Amino acid sequence: MAGALTDPTRAPVAFGRRAVPQLFGELQRAGAAARLRALTSLCDLVHEPERLYQAVTGGFLKQLKVLFRDEDPSVRAKTCELLHLLTSHSIGRQAVLASSLLPPLCQLLDDSSFSCRRNVHRVLNRLALLPAGAEALLSLVPKLMLKLTKEEDEEVQLLLLSTLTHCSRLDALPGLASDGVSLLGRKLSHRSSNIRREAAAAMMALSVPMDGKRQVCEDAEVLPVLIGLLRDKDVEVQANAAGVIMSTVIITTGKQRCLDLDVLPVLLGLLSEKHGDDDKEEMKKRRKALIMYVLRALTSLAEAPNGRRLLLEQLPLVEKKAEAAEEDQDIRRATQTAIQVITWTP
Amino acid sequence: MQTSDHNCISNVACFSCQTLEQHGSLESYCMHLNELSSSCRTKRHYGNIMYDRRVVRGNTYAKHIIPTTAQPDPAEIRRQQANRRRAIARKQAREQFRPNTPEALEGRKHTDVQTELYLEELSNIIATTDIECQTDPFLDRPATPLFIPAKSGKDVETQIEEGELFDFDVEVQPVLEVLVGKTIEQSLLEVMEEEELACLKAQQRAFEELRNNELAEVQRLQEMERRHNEEKERRIAQQREVLRKEKEIAEKIAARAYTQQYLAGLLPAVFTSLRSHGYFYNPVEKDIETNFFPWLMDEVNNRVERRCTAREILDSKRHCYFILFVDDNPFF
Repeated sequence: MAGALTDPTRAPVAFGRRAVPQLFGELQRAGAAARLRALTSLCDLVHEPERLYQAVTGGFLKQLKVLFRDEDPSVRAKTCELLHLLTSHSIGRQAVLASSLLPPLCQLLDDSSFSCRRNVHRVLNRLALLPAGAEALLSLVPKLMLKLTKEEDEEVQLLLLSTLTHCSRLDALPGLASDGVSLLGRKLSHRSSNIRREAAAAMMALSVPMDGKRQVCEDAEVLPVLIGLLRDKDVEVQANAAGVIMSTVIITTGKQRCLDLDVLPVLLGLLSEKHGDDDKEEMKKRRKALIMYVLRALTSLAEAPNGRRLLLEQLPLVEKKAEAAEEDQDIRRATQTAIQVITWTP
Repeated sequence: MQTSDHNCISNVACFSCQTLEQHGSLESYCMHLNELSSSCRTKRHYGNIMYDRRVVRGNTYAKHIIPTTAQPDPAEIRRQQANRRRAIARKQAREQFRPNTPEALEGRKHTDVQTELYLEELSNIIATTDIECQTDPFLDRPATPLFIPAKSGKDVETQIEEGELFDFDVEVQPVLEVLVGKTIEQSLLEVMEEEELACLKAQQRAFEELRNNELAEVQRLQEMERRHNEEKERRIAQQREVLRKEKEIAEKIAARAYTQQYLAGLLPAVFTSLRSHGYFYNPVEKDIETNFFPWLMDEVNNRVERRCTAREILDSKRHCYFILFVDDNPFF
């Protein structure tokens, strides 16, 4: 068979419908090296939706459970990679969730091999995109928080942070209970902008419930760092930081603290920032989020008397944004709301 | 044992085991019989088919056919026995009439004598000789010499020039097409998959941003509502407090006025009542009253009693002496 001759790292693949069942059968029978080859071939096949469907509905997922406990770390890593590919489709995700593969998978989080752990994190990340998956992963959140403090590698940290963000969007309480705010606060000053972005996004998800907002205000270091992040170079980091501030200033303590830390000029500066290449679609889209968050933050700040006073002075700046020149509906609506609140009198 | 007359080495047909074997000597045949005696029982049911009485030889037109029934009739049995008896009787009769050598006369004995020209030793013991034969040990066979047939025929040469077998450029095209096509197809699929994922991600992100926004707005409005409600509650509570306080003050004032009015006439009334109850008294008077008067009265009582007693005595004893009343009685 050509496969055996041309590529020694892959098992030969049967034709048509027999491909997937035969490879799974080989997984059961074969020795260690042959298992690795069969897994590699499976990973290649599963990119195609038809084969994925076959793999998922053929009831082969139980075999993967046995492979998790294999002695060879590369076999374990490959199995996780296979799972990662399976979860790229909705049926795959549902099947993984329904087949009780999660507990053995979570045990692999403490695996000795790095690539295995990384693949496990990838799988968890994909699973967290689905609401049912995020719900299933909620019980894991404390453990993931612990991992966040221990893991050094950037990619794994990124994956962890995004998984935590998705889980916290569903329900932020477990994350808050395991001291998420202070953990993420430390990550906010990381040197990599990806991590800063993800940490700020996670913080934004955590600050949605009241408890989170209070914690963000109480933690003395977080707010100044966030305001510092508003001046960051990366637009997404700025946007996420603005999002956190937006949710924090909803409560009165938040308003007071932010006004004390002199956040208004920064926000107004962000609003009126002009980019040389503003016509680029992508930049516009990214800035849209930033501008919307900033506007909402300003709206909330305007409910405080000092804030209102300061903003009344800057009203023309804000009104400019509400002009018809601004194409985006949402931004216009947001600016109008802001103006309404600023000019409200009791 | 049947032997032919000529040779010593012969085919021996052994009746006991009914096998046709070659025995070179008597010893070997005796050995054979010995082992047969030990295994005779097992071997008895093997029979040489040539010597089996049940096998019919020759033509079968007039042969006696064994009846199929296992049990022959009693009449048949009797007939067969009669036949046998008759055959024996006939044989015996024949033997009786065969001329035999007459018996030897008295004092004489018949002996066998050889009458040929040359006497021959007759004995049962067959003179046997053992002859052995053994091949020489084999020498290693030498390798066969390479057989090179003599050359025959004509020498012919040929040479393939370039371009005669096939044209590479033309032949390689379909192969190349397939290879390149498959590769590009695969990569297109992968790129499409990635694009799809990226699109989905972008859409998700846009949705998330909107959601966050709206969430923030909702929460802000919620907060505002809550604050307003709280403010209202506080104000209402404050008003209620104020009202309550005012009511309390009014009550206090009313109470004060009433008390003042009530207490105005209290003091003289009190004094009057006390005086009327006798709480204010002259101590000297009181003392005289409490201490002096009873004593006085007592004394008066005593005196009067004494006087009475005296009068009675006097009355009872009229002619008592008037001297009795000579005491210090200032009243008389």
